[in-house]
Amino acid sequence: MESDRFDLIVVGAGISGMTAAAAAASRGLRVGLVNAGPGQFVFGGGCVESQQLRPNEAPATLGEAIAFFCDVTRQAGCPFRGGLGERRHLPTIMGSFQTVALAPFSQWNSDVDEPRRAAVVGITGLSSFDAAFVTERLTDNARRLGFNSRYVAREITLSTAPGTVASTLQCANRFDREPRFRQELLDALTPVTRDVDLIILPGLLGLHSKEPDIAAFERALDCPLCELPTLPPSVPGLRLFHALEAHLRKIGVEVFSGFSVNRLDLGEGRCTGVWIDTPARPLHLLSEAVILASGQFSAGLLGAEFFGTDGWLRPITRSGAPLADNLYAAGALLRNTGGHGGNERAILTGYRAGMLAAGQGGRYAAE
Amino acid sequence: MRPNDVSLDNCLKCSDCNTVCPVLSAHPAYPGPKHLGPELERLRREGIPCDTDWLEYCLGCHRCDMACPNQVNVSELIATAKASHKKALVRKIRDFWFARPGLLGKLLSFAPRLTNAMLGLRPARLLMARVLKITADRDFPAYVSPDLRTPAAVASPVSPVLFFAGCAIQYNQTELGRTVLSLLQCNGFQPVVASAGCCGLPALANGDAAEARLCAQTNVNALTEAVGAGMPIVTACTSCGHMLKTGFADLLADDGEMANKAKRLAEATYDLGELLMARADQGLQPPAVRQRRLRLAYHAPCHQISQGIGRPWFHLLRQIPGVEIEDLNAGCCGMSGTFGFKQEKYPISMAVGQTLFDRIRAADPQMVVTECATCRMQIEHGAKVKAVHPAEVLLDAMRTEIAPLPSP
Repeated sequence: MESDRFDLIVVGAGISGMTAAAAAASRGLRVGLVNAGPGQFVFGGGCVESQQLRPNEAPATLGEAIAFFCDVTRQAGCPFRGGLGERRHLPTIMGSFQTVALAPFSQWNSDVDEPRRAAVVGITGLSSFDAAFVTERLTDNARRLGFNSRYVAREITLSTAPGTVASTLQCANRFDREPRFRQELLDALTPVTRDVDLIILPGLLGLHSKEPDIAAFERALDCPLCELPTLPPSVPGLRLFHALEAHLRKIGVEVFSGFSVNRLDLGEGRCTGVWIDTPARPLHLLSEAVILASGQFSAGLLGAEFFGTDGWLRPITRSGAPLADNLYAAGALLRNTGGHGGNERAILTGYRAGMLAAGQGGRYAAE
Repeated sequence: MRPNDVSLDNCLKCSDCNTVCPVLSAHPAYPGPKHLGPELERLRREGIPCDTDWLEYCLGCHRCDMACPNQVNVSELIATAKASHKKALVRKIRDFWFARPGLLGKLLSFAPRLTNAMLGLRPARLLMARVLKITADRDFPAYVSPDLRTPAAVASPVSPVLFFAGCAIQYNQTELGRTVLSLLQCNGFQPVVASAGCCGLPALANGDAAEARLCAQTNVNALTEAVGAGMPIVTACTSCGHMLKTGFADLLADDGEMANKAKRLAEATYDLGELLMARADQGLQPPAVRQRRLRLAYHAPCHQISQGIGRPWFHLLRQIPGVEIEDLNAGCCGMSGTFGFKQEKYPISMAVGQTLFDRIRAADPQMVVTECATCRMQIEHGAKVKAVHPAEVLLDAMRTEIAPLPSP
C-alpha cells in the first residue's frame, strides 16, 4: 500500500462529506476524508427536513440515500428516527416549530400532534436557553397552528464549577465524564416529571455519549426526553459529528483533520489529487476521484470557471463541460441549484457522489 | 511571536475551540481557549490588566487552532500572554528549570547513577514536592550518559540525514536514539547526529519566551548549513518536530533573515515516521519479518496531529506481519511535557488522560506505541501498561536484515 494514494478523497466532513465517505468505503474504496473542523455541526442538530428538493435533483435515489444514511448513523451509535414519509414539528430554542422528516434520536420525541403536557426545563444561570421564553412562544405558536401540546416552564439548579457560569458545553463534558453529574441531573429532573409526559431540555447530554447512554438516562428518569440544539456549540450536532467520525475511522476511512485543502490537481480533464495546507510543507494526496463537500466556500477551489454541476454531480463550466470527469461536488456547494436543502440534499448528493466515485470499484483498499 | 497578528479579529465566538480543549473538558473551571486567547487578548492589547493563573494551564496541544474554522491562532495568543504572566516565586524557580531540559539534562546526566538514586528517594521527592511543588506521585525519567554519536557509514550510496535527537533522547533515552540511527541506516540513510540544543518547546510551555527564542536562534544557526546542503532534518520526538516545523518561524517572525532561515529549516524537517513512510511508499523499505503475534495500541500525540502528516507510524507498524494494531483515537494524554509534574496541575493532568487510560484498558494491548516521550511516561503511569516508541517495534521487525550497530 502507498499511504498517500487513495481511491477517493472527500473534502469536507459535514453530513454530505461523511455520507459520501461512508458510501464509497462501503463499496470497498480506500477513502481519505479531509476536513478543517466540525463545520455546520457546531450550529445545528442534524435534523432532515422533507421536500426541500427540486424535481430535477434526481430524488429517485433519495429513499436509497436516506436508508443508507440511517444505517450509517445507527452503526455509529447515533441513530436517526423518522422517515421520508414522516412530518414532525419539533420545537426550537426560539420557540418555533421546525418541520422535519428525520431527526437524531434525542430530538425526535416531541411530537406535537399528540395531546401532551411538556415541561421546558431551563437551568439556573444558563444564558443560552430561556425556558420561560421558549414556553411562551411555543404555547403561542402551538395555539396558532392548532397543535395539541401544552408547555410549562420549569427551572432546575445544577452545581457548576467554581467561578464559572452554567453552559451546555460544561454540562455535556460533565455528563460524559462524571457519573455523579448524571445522577445530579437525574435527581433534579425527577420532580419535574411528576405532572408532565415529556421533558424538553437544552442539548447537553454529552458530546461523546451514544444512544444506549441516553436511553439508559431516559429509562432511569422514567419519562421521555427531548433535546433542543442551542446556540453554538450545539451539543447534539457535535455528538453526531464525533459518532460519525469515529465510525468512519473504524471502517477504514483515513481522516485528515485540522487543515484545509488549498489546491486541486486539475489537468487534462482529470483531478488527480489534493494539496492540504499543513505546517512546513503542504501534504499532497493522490486520488482516483475527488468529492468536494466542504460547503459553499470551497467553490474557490474550482476557480472562476465553476458554473454549476451536471447530472453526475460534476462541476461544469459555463459551456457545460465538466472540469474533470472524476471530480464531484456534494452538499451546500450545490446550493445554487435551488434553496436551502435541509440536509436532504446533503445526504442525497453525498450518497450519490460516493456511489458515482465507487462506480469503477477501488484499486487500493484490498492491499 | 508574530508582532501584528490580527487573527483574533477572525474570531466569531463559535466556541469550536472550547469543544476540543482537553483541559476544559476535564476541568470545567478552566476558562477555555476562546476566553484566554482572543477574548482576553483584546483587553491585553488595550493595556487593561487581566493576567490570570489559568494561562499556565494551557497544554499547548494546538487542538483549538485546528478546530478553528476561521484560522485564529488561538494557542499562540495564549502562549504570548503566558510569556508576560506573573508567577509566584516558587513556581517561577521551578518553571525556570522545567523550561530548560537541556541544561537540566547536562547537569543531571553528569553522574546519572547518583541522579537516579537521588530522584528515586522518597524523602527527596517529598521535599521537592514541599519546596518546589513538583509532584511526588510520579516517577522521574531515568538519566543516562549522553553518548549518542554519529555511526560510521555502512554502505554506499546512501543519502545523508541530520538527526535532531532532542533532550529526552539525549539525556534519558540514548538507547532509543541508537534504535533510530539503526533504523535510518537499514532504510538506506546515513544519519549524522546534530549538535543542537533543546528545541525550546518546554521554554515556550513554561512561559519563558526569551529562552524559547534563544533556543530557536541557536538551533536555526546550528542547522542552517545542513539545510543549505539539502540534508533532511529528522526528529523522532513529535514535540521537537512540531517546534522545528512551526515554532521557530513564529518565534523569529520579527527578524526577517532568521525567519527565512527558520522557514527553510521547517521545510527540511521530517518526522521519522513521515520519512520512513515516504521511503516505504517508494518501495524502498527493507521487508519486515516477524512471526510472533503482537497486539499493539497506537496513541497519536497532540504534536504529531498538529504536524498534519497523517498516521505514518500506524501504517508502518500495521504492515508488519503478525502485528495487530488499533488506533486509540482518545485525545490528549494530559502530560504535556512538564505540566504533569507540577503539583498543582497533576490532578488535571490525570483527569485529562482518563479517557485515554480507559480506552487502553478496553483495548488491552501488550504494548502501547506512541512517538512522544512524555506521552509514554503518562501512559505507563496512568494505564500501567508498557509504552514504547514505534521505531523500536519496527527495528525489531527488521533486525534480521542488518548487523547490530557497534557500541561506541
